[in-house]
Amino acid sequence: MNEQSASRRGKYALIASLASSLLLVIIFAVLSVFVNSSRTVPLYSQVDIIAGTIFVFVLSMIVSASIWPGIIEKRIS
Amino acid sequence: MQTKIKVYGMTCMHCHKRVTDAISAITGVSSVEVDLEDESAEVEFDPDKTDLEEIKQAVIDAGYEVGEEEKACPLPFETEQEACKIIPDEELEETTEAEPGHVEDIVFRVSGMTCASCAQNVEKILKKQAGVVSASVNLPMSKAAISYEPASISRDEMEEAIESIGYHVVHDRTTLDVGGMTCASCAMNVEKVLKRQKGVISASVNVSTAKARVEYNSSLISVEDMIAAIEGIGYSASLPVGREETEDRERKEREEEIRNQRNNLIISALIAVPIMLGSMKEGFPGLLWFVPDFLTNQYLLFLLATIVIIFPGRQFFVGTYRGLKHGVTDMNLLIATGTGAAYVISVAATFLDLGPGYEHLYYDTAVMLITFIVLGRYLEARAKGRTSESIKKLIGLQAKTARIIVGNEEKEVPVEDVEVGDIVFVRPGEKVPVDGVVIEGSSAVDESMITGESIPVEKKKNDEVIGSTLNKSGAMKFRATNVGADTALARIIELVENAQNSKAPIQRIADVVAGHFILVVHVLALLAFFFWYFVGFEAYNVPVNSGLLSPFLFALLISITVLVISCPCAVGLATPAAIMVGTGKGAENGILIKGGEALERTLKVDTIVFDKTGTLTKGEPELTDVISLADVEEDRILAIAAGAEKGSEHPLGEAIVRGAEERNVDIANAEEFKSIAGRGIEASVEDSRILLGTRKLMEDNNIDISAAEKKMEDLEAQGKTAMIAASGDRVIGLVAVADTLKENSKEAVEKIRDMGIEVVMITGDNHRTADAIANSIGIERVLAEVLPEDKAAEILKLQDEGRIVAMVGDGINDAPALTQSDIGIAMGAGTDVAMESAQIVLIKNDLRDVLAAIRLSRLTMSKIKQNLFWAFGYNSIGIPIAAGLFYPFVHTILITPALAAAFMAMSSISVTTNSLLMKRKSIK
Repeated sequence: MNEQSASRRGKYALIASLASSLLLVIIFAVLSVFVNSSRTVPLYSQVDIIAGTIFVFVLSMIVSASIWPGIIEKRIS
Repeated sequence: MQTKIKVYGMTCMHCHKRVTDAISAITGVSSVEVDLEDESAEVEFDPDKTDLEEIKQAVIDAGYEVGEEEKACPLPFETEQEACKIIPDEELEETTEAEPGHVEDIVFRVSGMTCASCAQNVEKILKKQAGVVSASVNLPMSKAAISYEPASISRDEMEEAIESIGYHVVHDRTTLDVGGMTCASCAMNVEKVLKRQKGVISASVNVSTAKARVEYNSSLISVEDMIAAIEGIGYSASLPVGREETEDRERKEREEEIRNQRNNLIISALIAVPIMLGSMKEGFPGLLWFVPDFLTNQYLLFLLATIVIIFPGRQFFVGTYRGLKHGVTDMNLLIATGTGAAYVISVAATFLDLGPGYEHLYYDTAVMLITFIVLGRYLEARAKGRTSESIKKLIGLQAKTARIIVGNEEKEVPVEDVEVGDIVFVRPGEKVPVDGVVIEGSSAVDESMITGESIPVEKKKNDEVIGSTLNKSGAMKFRATNVGADTALARIIELVENAQNSKAPIQRIADVVAGHFILVVHVLALLAFFFWYFVGFEAYNVPVNSGLLSPFLFALLISITVLVISCPCAVGLATPAAIMVGTGKGAENGILIKGGEALERTLKVDTIVFDKTGTLTKGEPELTDVISLADVEEDRILAIAAGAEKGSEHPLGEAIVRGAEERNVDIANAEEFKSIAGRGIEASVEDSRILLGTRKLMEDNNIDISAAEKKMEDLEAQGKTAMIAASGDRVIGLVAVADTLKENSKEAVEKIRDMGIEVVMITGDNHRTADAIANSIGIERVLAEVLPEDKAAEILKLQDEGRIVAMVGDGINDAPALTQSDIGIAMGAGTDVAMESAQIVLIKNDLRDVLAAIRLSRLTMSKIKQNLFWAFGYNSIGIPIAAGLFYPFVHTILITPALAAAFMAMSSISVTTNSLLMKRKSIK
């Protein structure tokens, strides 16, 4: 019973972490593209944006994977 | 059969030969290979003819110590290396919310029950509690078995109920060795998982000693369950084995860790030099003209950096992986993210065309990061071993063998085989193997290893000897009174170990910080990245100022620096390192401090209450005056008084008898001895009725004492206890005894007052006597005529005045006062009561040690504060600078990732070194 519950909570936490990280990555990418499109000479190269999204994704996954489990546990209990 | 055993103590080829010869002489041994450097002996032997124990014994007999054979090493390092770091809340076994009506059983061990009515009382109070279905108390076993509804009543509430009627619930305690912990976060996670176990009452985990001290209820959880819980989150756990084996294993582990980190450091440092030169040549070709061109080749740089990442850097990535598998974060993650990012972007730039701005490679950053952090870990591993040296010194004091008398013959046996009651024989120069009482012979014994007192103590018949002390001059026999875990040394070791595992309240700050820091740092790194990527790069003209064309690379460098500089390992080490060194230093000086809390509270003490008898005074009254008030000679008065007191066991009576003997007075024969409590004695000496005692005794017998009053007052004003001697119905004289002050009492009191602490004396003596003694040593406030049972109430009154009170007593009849006080200081470690009721135990009966204990606590607390200041200081100053706070003003990055790694390593080293500096300070 406990194992099932823990596994369910783990799944929710993973989904929430992925979702929030992807959201941040999208914000990052959209902002980058927006900045580039608003200028005649683009500020960010493609490599900047791609590498940046990966880095942002990694950091935000670390942060969200630490935060979400606690929140989900509180909600469920 | 072939085996390899560790042999310690060999220093030269002579030792080598002795060990080789000792083992070779055993029948069945076919070959011996002794390695001096490795401190080992490889032995091939026939198991039918001899065994490992015999081989080990031969080494011991040759005068060396043996460790465990190789194959029996209890903790495989591979396992520890692979141990995971922490576990998220959702994976922890959780105490489920109890359903109403659900009944559970629990058993409490209850102390203080002496009779059937006690058992009934406990049963009754339990049954009265809502939610308790049934309660049954087993008096002989001192256990209360309870069925209860967890939904209605908690375990704590039941414990409170039992304690509310004066009994005490005793918790089981154990200490587990925990492997695989590398930082404060690890310790927190082990603590967390233990506390979540049903039946665990408290858990305290110390990353420095790799031990978890757990208080639990054995009816709910077993030690095996706790070990399984710890192992379940990726650490290794085991019950401590024998002290020597533990010591041996710890030494091996520490040596292994130091060796690993040293190898890592050598590899990374050797590779860092060409990488740094190669990378810097691009920037300063004129300056670095001597650097060969091939070192600037990016493929060579990639190869060299990869070697560093794979070998010395692997530990960070493996640690991160294990942690992330359980959804946890620790310092490995910070380092792995930093070095990983620098390495990955450099690899991409080496093999892919990433366009303008990506020509520069950051292999040097990744390699220097790893080099500095490995340097930090290497130095930390070396320093950490030294913080626990004191306990190892204590363990090393234990004698290995004892010579006992069996049927008039001496027999040498391992010290573990000595039993209480055995007659032990010690020769000059030998260690006293166990505690005991001398029955024959006399000698000077060096007790400095236990008491810190450098002058040998004379021991004669009926004197106590302490195990592990050194018999200096004469041979003696003594009867063993405490053996094994009950010896004074074993108890001291246990006490110091527990103290070193304890936490000071100030550590709460460190725990809170360490627990959330890594998360906060990642958020900061993310924010810094966003800021410098979207705003700062253009706003502060980074391409012009720093020559970096890529916003991502600049933001990444800032982000990596923030991650690396923020490592909280120094915060985690700040308090335990200082407590370990402080309590260890105390133990070396005969001052046993029971933990961090005691250290912290001692610092705040503003009032010290000294019990008079046995603390300020020697505790043994001496005959001081005999005054004749009639036509009876003084010697005759003393002879009569001593005769009357001969049967007395009262200390005052014993002092009179001793005084008469010392003065060679013929003690009169007394009959019909009768003791009158609190007043004196009555006896018949040579057909005369003799009374000896207080004014009250005389008044009760209608004896006029007016002739004695003046002299008596004078004696009392000098702090002496005067007793009136009456023969028939007339006063014949006065006999006075006094408990003389210890030589160091006055000096200690003066120095304590100089520290700004008020000194108070508490005694059962009358005001006049008490004032006289207090005046002679400079104590202004006296609590006189206080009965032993009222001492605790007097301490409470002082506390009600807002004072933080320390009570110094002998720990036997002062136990309630010691417990009531904020800090109980027990003089003399001989009694269990003393050890139990006080937070500080002074092994010697020297009041100056009170002063030393205060100095030690001040020193340790100041070290803790300095350490926390350094640890937090590095991070609080480093993080904003690393995040580029000053870039707008100085137009350059002040701290590079490599420099951040150096700072981080420095923070851990400075904290540990600062703690070790305490060893040099004098507390006496």
